[in-house]
Amino acid sequence: MAEALLEVDDLTKRYGALVAVDGVSMHVQKGEVRAVIGPNGAGKTTLFHLITGVVPPTSGSVRFSGSEITRLAPHAICQRGLSRTFQLTSLFPRMSARENAMLAAQGRHRRRWMPFGGTDVFASARAAGEDALEQLGLSHVADRPAGLLSHGDQRLLEVAMAMAQHPELLLLDEPTQGLSVEETAQAVETLAQFLDKARITVLLVEHDMEVVFRLAHRITVLHRGAVIADDVPEAVKANARVQEAYLGGIE
Amino acid sequence: MQKPNPLPALGGLAVVCLLIAAPFGLPVFAMTLLTELVILGLFAMSLDLMVGYANLVSFGHAAAYGLGAYASGYMLLNSSMPLPVVVLLAALLTGGVAIGVGWVCTLATGVSFSMLTLAFAQLLYAIAFKWTSVTGGSDGLAGIPRRAGPFSITIFTSKTGFYYFALTCLIGAYFMCRALVRSPFGLVLRGIRENEAKTLVLGYNTRLYKITVIAIAYALGGLAGALYAPFAGFANTELLFWLLSGQALIMVIVGGQGTLIGPILGAAFFMLLEHQLSSYTEAWALFFGLIFIAFVLFAPEGIWGLARRAFARARAPTGARHG
Amino acid sequence: MTPRDLARMSTLALLLTQGVNALSQAALLFFLGVGLTLIFGIMRIVNFAHGTLYMLGAFIGYSLVRYTGSYWLALVLAPLTVGAIGTAFELGILRRLYRRDAHAFLMVTFGLALVTGEAVRLLWGSDALQVPPPALLSGVVFLMDEPFPVYRLFLMSFGIVVAIAIWQLLERTRLGLLIRATSQNAEMVHALGVDVKLVRSGVFGIGCGLAALGGVLAAPLVTAAHGMAATAVIDAFVIVIIGGMGSFLGSLIGALLVAFVQVFGNYYLPDFALAFMYLVMLLVLVVRPGGLLGKEA
Repeated sequence: MAEALLEVDDLTKRYGALVAVDGVSMHVQKGEVRAVIGPNGAGKTTLFHLITGVVPPTSGSVRFSGSEITRLAPHAICQRGLSRTFQLTSLFPRMSARENAMLAAQGRHRRRWMPFGGTDVFASARAAGEDALEQLGLSHVADRPAGLLSHGDQRLLEVAMAMAQHPELLLLDEPTQGLSVEETAQAVETLAQFLDKARITVLLVEHDMEVVFRLAHRITVLHRGAVIADDVPEAVKANARVQEAYLGGIE
Repeated sequence: MQKPNPLPALGGLAVVCLLIAAPFGLPVFAMTLLTELVILGLFAMSLDLMVGYANLVSFGHAAAYGLGAYASGYMLLNSSMPLPVVVLLAALLTGGVAIGVGWVCTLATGVSFSMLTLAFAQLLYAIAFKWTSVTGGSDGLAGIPRRAGPFSITIFTSKTGFYYFALTCLIGAYFMCRALVRSPFGLVLRGIRENEAKTLVLGYNTRLYKITVIAIAYALGGLAGALYAPFAGFANTELLFWLLSGQALIMVIVGGQGTLIGPILGAAFFMLLEHQLSSYTEAWALFFGLIFIAFVLFAPEGIWGLARRAFARARAPTGARHG
Repeated sequence: MTPRDLARMSTLALLLTQGVNALSQAALLFFLGVGLTLIFGIMRIVNFAHGTLYMLGAFIGYSLVRYTGSYWLALVLAPLTVGAIGTAFELGILRRLYRRDAHAFLMVTFGLALVTGEAVRLLWGSDALQVPPPALLSGVVFLMDEPFPVYRLFLMSFGIVVAIAIWQLLERTRLGLLIRATSQNAEMVHALGVDVKLVRSGVFGIGCGLAALGGVLAAPLVTAAHGMAATAVIDAFVIVIIGGMGSFLGSLIGALLVAFVQVFGNYYLPDFALAFMYLVMLLVLVVRPGGLLGKEA
């Protein structure tokens, strides 16, 4: 079997007595769309924070493309090829959607730090940014300040910014968070088409099961920080432990 | 898409021409004021780089000014190096020290960052008092000469020559800053200003960018101080006092932060108050502080920010807004 | 006391002397810090003018002593005056900023600091001014054959008394309950029908008054001078950072810690006192940006 793009091994995060992430292991293959689901408080976003270096793990390791990224700083991890979105929309509100995407694209450019000139840097960032906007159906609002976009468009802009970085692994943290039913349906369609075309490896945290079943190749289920199922969608749907975690058991 | 507007460039050119022609038309005392304005404008503009473009509010920018002044004063008094060399060396020294200061201060953010910059300036202030052998203690350094340039170019010893040198420094610094904020580096600063957490996650080592902009801002502030010492002929602890840091911040805010030109206007406004009002009342600095509070409350974009908005509205009366 | 005098003392006497110095210094710092932390707790802003208000207290105290001859009167009136000024400032200016970002607050209180600093310079000149302590409190008492300034002992006791008073106020009175509740959840308090704005104005005034109290008390020791303000605001900030923004107990602990570091640091390494403070501040900001006991800064 080919080496997995992302290897998470026994990753654990403890906050005093509270175990937020409990020995999570998973392997994500290149080209796979992997969803991570679980009830509230299952540790999904914390897992993302651990993988992307925002929070240091208590123990365990994360390997990307064969190399260890466990304790790297967030900006260093991004440079390795992982780009992520946030559950709470985080954009540059006074900059236009295009400028948001450009800044994101510039982040992976070799000469992003140029203190003068930089026309070539800007040109390449602009191209990547506009391309990402188009893939996510945002070209028509490219010039609007990001803070003035609809909530749905803002969520998509987050994804576009991550995409503008041409990552090898895209981490999406609840992309449909806070969207209305219609907005969700639209966003999911856009994402589905885009993922079909882009053939990119994705790690997706989602609450909405419809979204998950529409987009994911494989699902990992977390419950109270630990993995209780890791399988294809049909199998997970039928899994008794998963059903119990979501539906029953007041603890 | 609008055609690029030629007016700002033409306006700028006109101002520069006036500044170059000034010594031929203005009386001596006015030239002295103008030279002081050039130096103070450079000082304020350097602070704008930190405050207006990277949201790094410094309460201790006098540290740059004082350090530059003492460095150039000391070198002019104790060596025979030509003036331009001394001034540039003093600026570089200040920038070098600022790398350390920036490294330390960026360990914190927000208010804590600001307090650290103040603490550092206070530290320098105390050192200046104690290190009498180098700084002259509470008396400071006096009798600082305006030395000739290299190759016996004596142009700087005259007031006019020195004015042109200071003006060159200001204009050079302006274009340098302008290039910086329009570069990829400048775009990153904008990102840091609007959402530092996101900028970090996008792959930028934000702390390095902050330290760099701090070093450049302090170096330019040190350049201003280094010009001040031979201009005034002395350097003392007043140049490191927190009130001066405060006045610089006021010049930036009142003039218009994030515009480079605004702070220079702020400096002009400050000097206007100082020289005009001081004949009527000793409380001119107090008025300056009150005006500052008024601007923060009612016109946070400052004089130049207001002017720019007015120009933009005049050009697009239909209300069509650019992106 | 000259260094030679100090050298001749026994270790115990030395510790006692420096201990008294440190405790009296802690009292002054406590007044500075508790005001700043109360203001932060209620309003989530750092009052940059705190140091200048401390200085203003000292100078007003000077004038009151000069013109009324009574230090005790100054001790009461100076804090009240500065507290009133603070409340007026909050009512007139700070209130307009509650919808804006934290930066605006910082700038505006900074503006207040500058205006106050210049006002002090205008009204009292640029020189340091001596403020004589009241006859009752000048002089020394002898313990273990060593002289202890009565004033310092007074400071210590007064500090303890005020600390207890504030503690009781916060824990046992309705006002204290309001203050604590507002600092934890202002919206809830508002929903319960309390005029939160009034609480804020009041607390801001009290905080400023406490700073001025520190200033009046400090004046006989350190003279009323212009360098006071910047040092005071940094000291206050360090104390509050160490103890935690918004924590009363924290400001007490912070004041004690800083005072001991300052006094003993000054004894062993007199030239490095300021560098020491800078380092302490740095250390705390780096290691525990939230302070030892506090909420988010």
